Amino acid sequence: MKNRLRVLRAERGWSQADLAERLQVSRQSVNAIETGRFDPSLPLAFKLAKLFETTIEAIFVEDSAAASEGSH
Amino acid sequence: MAFCNRHFSPLQRRSLQLFFANLLLTAVIVVIAHKTYDQARASILLTYVLATLAAIPVIVVIAVVGRYMARETDEFVRMMVVQALLWGLGVTFVADTFLGCLFAYPSIYTLIPPLNLDLFVVSAGVALRVQMWRNR
Repeated sequence: MKNRLRVLRAERGWSQADLAERLQVSRQSVNAIETGRFDPSLPLAFKLAKLFETTIEAIFVEDSAAASEGSH
Repeated sequence: MAFCNRHFSPLQRRSLQLFFANLLLTAVIVVIAHKTYDQARASILLTYVLATLAAIPVIVVIAVVGRYMARETDEFVRMMVVQALLWGLGVTFVADTFLGCLFAYPSIYTLIPPLNLDLFVVSAGVALRVQMWRNR
């Protein structure tokens, strides 16, 4: 699953460690989510959405949807 | 919150301490059990008592891991730990199967019995280190 976490984080000037602290998770977790190696649970996704004041869909994009967007 | 050598959470530190203490307990129990068995030509009852004693550290490990899993709030770290434990189980099963076949032959029956729990803990520990390195 693709996500815009890195972009959203950069917009706010937060480091991975800053975001990890706000989410109460490890920095490795943030890194793994950003690089797409780990898909967060629904509670963590909601936490992210709340933190960035947006919706889950605005952060996470399904792979197939991302691919079809790229082809248009 | 972090997950590295220098920044373990109190829960992670406590669990590791319990893990290593249990490792030591395993080694002590195995040595005591073997010495007692060798020297006393143990009766059937004593053999059962010693075997039960040897199983205690396994129960302790299950309790420590269960306690840690129930309390760890970081789902990614939990996933890494679960994967490491599966590697530990895999290595232990493979080694056990291999040694089990070797023990069927009397000529090499004198091999030191494998310390299953120690093998499990060490291989799971190595797997966790690799996971931490990959996700640094």
